[in-house]
Amino acid sequence: MRSKFDEQLTQLHKELITMGALCEESIAMAAQALTEGNLQTAEQIFDLTLQVRQKEREIESRCMRLLLQQQPVAKDLRLISSALKMVTDMERIGVNSGDIAEILLMRHITAADDTLNIQDMAQAAIKMVTQSIDAFVKLDTELAKAVIAYDDVVDEHFDRAKGLLLELLQQNAVNGEYAMDLLMIAKYFERMGDHAVEIAKWVLFAITGQKDG
Amino acid sequence: MTKRIFSAVFLAAVCVFLASAALFMGVLYDYFSDVQCRQLRMQTDLAAQGVAGLGSDYFTNLPADDYRISWIDADGVVLYDNQLATAAMENHLERQEIQQALAVGIGESRRYSDTLLQRSIYCARLLPNGTVLRLSVAQNTMLTLLLGMLEPMCVIFFIAFGLALLLASRQAKKIVEPLNNLNLDEPLSNDDYDELAPLLNRLDLQQKQIRRQENDLQRKQLEFETVTSNMQEGLVLLNRQGLILSVNSAAARLLGAEEAAVGRDILTVNRSLELSALLDKAAAGEYAEKVLKLNGGEYQLNASPVLTDGTVSGMVLLLFDVREKMKAEQLRREFTANVSHELKTPLHTIAGCSELLVNGLVKPEDTTKFARQIYGEAQRMINLVEDIIKLSHLDEAGGDMRCENVDLYALAENTLKLLLPVAEAAGVELTLQGQPANLFGAPQLLSSIIFNLCDNAIKYNRPNGSVKVAIINDETNVTLTVTDTGIGIPPECQERIFERFYRVDKSRSQAVGGTGLGLSIVKHAARLHNANVNVQSVLGQGSVITVRFSKNAVK
Repeated sequence: MRSKFDEQLTQLHKELITMGALCEESIAMAAQALTEGNLQTAEQIFDLTLQVRQKEREIESRCMRLLLQQQPVAKDLRLISSALKMVTDMERIGVNSGDIAEILLMRHITAADDTLNIQDMAQAAIKMVTQSIDAFVKLDTELAKAVIAYDDVVDEHFDRAKGLLLELLQQNAVNGEYAMDLLMIAKYFERMGDHAVEIAKWVLFAITGQKDG
Repeated sequence: MTKRIFSAVFLAAVCVFLASAALFMGVLYDYFSDVQCRQLRMQTDLAAQGVAGLGSDYFTNLPADDYRISWIDADGVVLYDNQLATAAMENHLERQEIQQALAVGIGESRRYSDTLLQRSIYCARLLPNGTVLRLSVAQNTMLTLLLGMLEPMCVIFFIAFGLALLLASRQAKKIVEPLNNLNLDEPLSNDDYDELAPLLNRLDLQQKQIRRQENDLQRKQLEFETVTSNMQEGLVLLNRQGLILSVNSAAARLLGAEEAAVGRDILTVNRSLELSALLDKAAAGEYAEKVLKLNGGEYQLNASPVLTDGTVSGMVLLLFDVREKMKAEQLRREFTANVSHELKTPLHTIAGCSELLVNGLVKPEDTTKFARQIYGEAQRMINLVEDIIKLSHLDEAGGDMRCENVDLYALAENTLKLLLPVAEAAGVELTLQGQPANLFGAPQLLSSIIFNLCDNAIKYNRPNGSVKVAIINDETNVTLTVTDTGIGIPPECQERIFERFYRVDKSRSQAVGGTGLGLSIVKHAARLHNANVNVQSVLGQGSVITVRFSKNAVK
């Protein structure tokens, strides 16, 4: 009985990692599409977003089944409940990547124009997502805490981008539509960072049983 | 242990106790009843004499006694009884002892008396007047005896219990102690119990066997690890579920595995989607391969299932660097493109000029000029094709290369003679120095090495420059050095100049001429002679190209 349960938990763990990998891929592709202005890549992101959503449903139903059939307690319960929460954040990251792709497909933004350092911001967000999933894979509390702390960097990037954009708009040096889109994209990356923080917090909860914030 | 020894000791004690009690009781009981019987008979005799002499007066001063005395007349009516009222008593004629006494003068019997609820012994005697005197005494049954002895028996029982407990724990300790102190690492060093010898021998044997197998296993593991860790390729063995069974250092580095990855799921080490897809395919029993970017390099990943009896029992993942292969592929593609281009350019000129000639658009005095141009381009094409053929010969590892002893100095002298007019035309001074150097090699190839190097040195020189060819013959090597005062080669291009059709300055190729294959031929020819080619160059000041032939290595 227990061994079957363990097997199911391992399977859950593996699926979460796969879903994490899908998220990483989608955000990396969003960043790449943004750099290269490659619309083909942008279209591929939709497919990935779809996969992320599907994976979320799968993991959810797997968690529900585990809760019902095995009635887990203590550590197992924590793992399963945090898995349930984490997939939501992962799904949001995937969807945000799709949103970025959508904006890119409007063609207001051309490649290789990086006055706002959105590339750096994207890299920072990717790093956060990767590390939060790494923290889950290795059940590493230190890494999870590092992710939570790193959110400030992404926030700072966003604030700076916003400030710069405002300046440019005041000087009328930039197209309004372009500026809005860029701001949206920056916001999406910032949101991804927040989702990564949530994932890291749930990882901490799964390990320690304590969740703050 | 203690419990079992205790129960054994206790059980034995109790058994012995019970057996002895039973024996004792059995024997004693018989003896006592015998004694009682005799006494009863004696008493009956005495009483009979008394009654015969004194009649009923005998009873009046009879002391109260353990004995029950009854006097019965010949009809069985009880005349006297010292313990019960005679009136209430029934007729005793039918009693066994009375019957016997009436018949033979004396009678005995034992039974549970109806009136007294106990077992009694009866003894009756016929008196001379025909009446019968009967004495009876209560006899203790076995049970009453036992009940009487219950107290001492209990005491003995508890003593036995305590003793057994004490003995058992002591004995158990004593027996177990040497067992606890057995030196299991060296079973044969124990000699406390002979009974254990076979066990210990077996233990020793098995221990040796285990040690041997462990050593074997360790050695094999070590061999495997040594072999795989020295592999350039990454190798990962996985079980069906994707757990890592073995991973060599190259693979660990490529997949980004930290510390001990063995026993963990491959997903936790590297969660790349492509890798998962590859392994999923392998887990389904299919061979799969893919080129992935890992760690900044390009690697081909081959995932093959390990099949046992038709089912997948594991997977093997092999990672190898395909950077070289990709580079070679790219070179080949470039070569094809270059060849076509180089062949096309002269053809265009030829076609254009001949078209003008055919259509009579050329003035007669210009015909020679056009014809010369056609001739020149055709020559260029011939050179090119010849070079390509030469290269492809060299590519075939010079299978038909005729080797002989050659004096490199003489060869250089001859070659330079051919180049002298070219050098003069370019205004470059061409000199040769050195000493005769015998070498075993293919004269044609060696001469083409010298020719191509010098040709380049002249072509890419400046007016009034110089090209110095030096041949040094020492103990181990013959070294050919071509030093020029030309334009030099930029450092980033030095590696590529030996590639086919590679030109440092592409815009100048037409002006300088040549096929772009010269240095490539030099490289191949040198390789066939096991010589190494070294380039030193400072941009704008000139280049030194050194070809070092090892005397030992030349075949």
